[in-house]
Amino acid sequence: MTRYAMVMDTRRCIGCGSCTVACKIHNELPIDIVYNPVTTIGPTGTFPDLTLSFLPLICMHCDNPPCVDACPTTASVQRADGIVHVVDSKCVGCLSCIMACPYGARQHNHETGTVSKCDFCKDRLEQGKLPHCVATCHQKARIFGDLHDPDSEVSKLINSNRTVQLLGELNTDPRVFYIY
Amino acid sequence: MSNKHQNWGWMLAVDFFFAGMGGGMLVIAAMVELFGGGTRMSLLGNLLGPVSMCIGCGFLMLELGRPLRAWRVFMNPKAILTVGAWMMSVAIISGFIYAAMAIPLDLIFWRGWTALGKCLAVVNLVTGLVVATYPGVLLGRLKGRPFWGGPGIIALYLLSSLITASAVHFLSGLLTPAPAMTIWHALPGLIAVLLLFQLLLWTGYLWIKQSGATAAEATSAQRWTSGDLSSAFKIGFVALGTVAPLVLVLLPFPAAQAVGAVLVLLGGVTMRLLTIRSGEDRTFLPGEQKYRLRLPTGDEEFLHKNWL
Repeated sequence: MTRYAMVMDTRRCIGCGSCTVACKIHNELPIDIVYNPVTTIGPTGTFPDLTLSFLPLICMHCDNPPCVDACPTTASVQRADGIVHVVDSKCVGCLSCIMACPYGARQHNHETGTVSKCDFCKDRLEQGKLPHCVATCHQKARIFGDLHDPDSEVSKLINSNRTVQLLGELNTDPRVFYIY
Repeated sequence: MSNKHQNWGWMLAVDFFFAGMGGGMLVIAAMVELFGGGTRMSLLGNLLGPVSMCIGCGFLMLELGRPLRAWRVFMNPKAILTVGAWMMSVAIISGFIYAAMAIPLDLIFWRGWTALGKCLAVVNLVTGLVVATYPGVLLGRLKGRPFWGGPGIIALYLLSSLITASAVHFLSGLLTPAPAMTIWHALPGLIAVLLLFQLLLWTGYLWIKQSGATAAEATSAQRWTSGDLSSAFKIGFVALGTVAPLVLVLLPFPAAQAVGAVLVLLGGVTMRLLTIRSGEDRTFLPGEQKYRLRLPTGDEEFLHKNWL
């Protein structure tokens, strides 16, 4: 069974924001909605020992997604392959999922009144393509694949590098892993 | 990822206030029905319970992005909001049927059915208790909201619901005297004890949060003690909504007790508005807040300029 996951190699990310822009344009997101921001950490330290790093964010497509349980309308669903997405026709815009998500990955679209979020570009996956943010990243900082396939790039990277999951203490079991 | 529309608004807080108060009123009425020696609270008080929950439902619907599809909140039995919606629906229906038993009309053919009154009281007790408790459970389960997380908020919400419910039952008894006069006379004392307990509980809650397990918890609690929410909390909730009514309800004058009961309601709604506002505080990821501040909100002046 396929289990999609993403690896963020923060050693490679240069904070260019290409992934953010690609996602925003291809998904035609409103001006105030961003699915995958890249935050800046730093600069820290004192000259000349300064460090600056970037943290690419996205929906964590948690294995134990609190947003799905919080949704009273069953609009938030988790597919068998792990993708968590919103069925727009069922969403009433109660914001329960937004409040439940510890990662701030869900956005209220004030034009439609509903909630939207990253779905790993599931339509593209069905065509055998990669999510827009992954395909756009020229530094190969975003790596996408099947976690259950031992030969996939994500499996190899996770098994051969020290990775962390964000807010792992909340028991959400995110499926986005960070190499640092 | 702007902050616009990313949190619940004041209407949900008002929903929690009315729903919790209505649920608490049903609980008190049911306790009197079951253990009050064949007496009841006032008709007005018994009617205001389900009416209050209806008002709460109205505010909940208005808070939704798509109010006309509100029926969908009944669809996921795993969600706390769904459980609350079902329980509130049952409580409203059961509450109205029970309250109607005191209306002297032939149309109310079940008014003499004592056994039905007891059965409805049991239903009201259970559903009312769930309705008074579920907002706290809903907030307490949210992992990423440091001020809400944990079971403490459940006790605070349940307690506030019972206090405001007692206050409305007291005020209703002033307007339309209740058959259970002995119990009605005891309500100010009960309110005073619960207010004192509420004050202690809030002190402990804020102290625990401020010295909390995470920096986010401490920061969110700091907003209440010395930050932007502190004035409303100290003046609106502690002074006017808790301490003043605590003194007033203990005075042997019905007018002073009535003012105290009204202030209790002010305190209840203030507490909910502030706690919902505290939902703005999330366990932010590194650099996220700075990033959010730089984002457009969609209502910038230059966007409205006619460029052609």
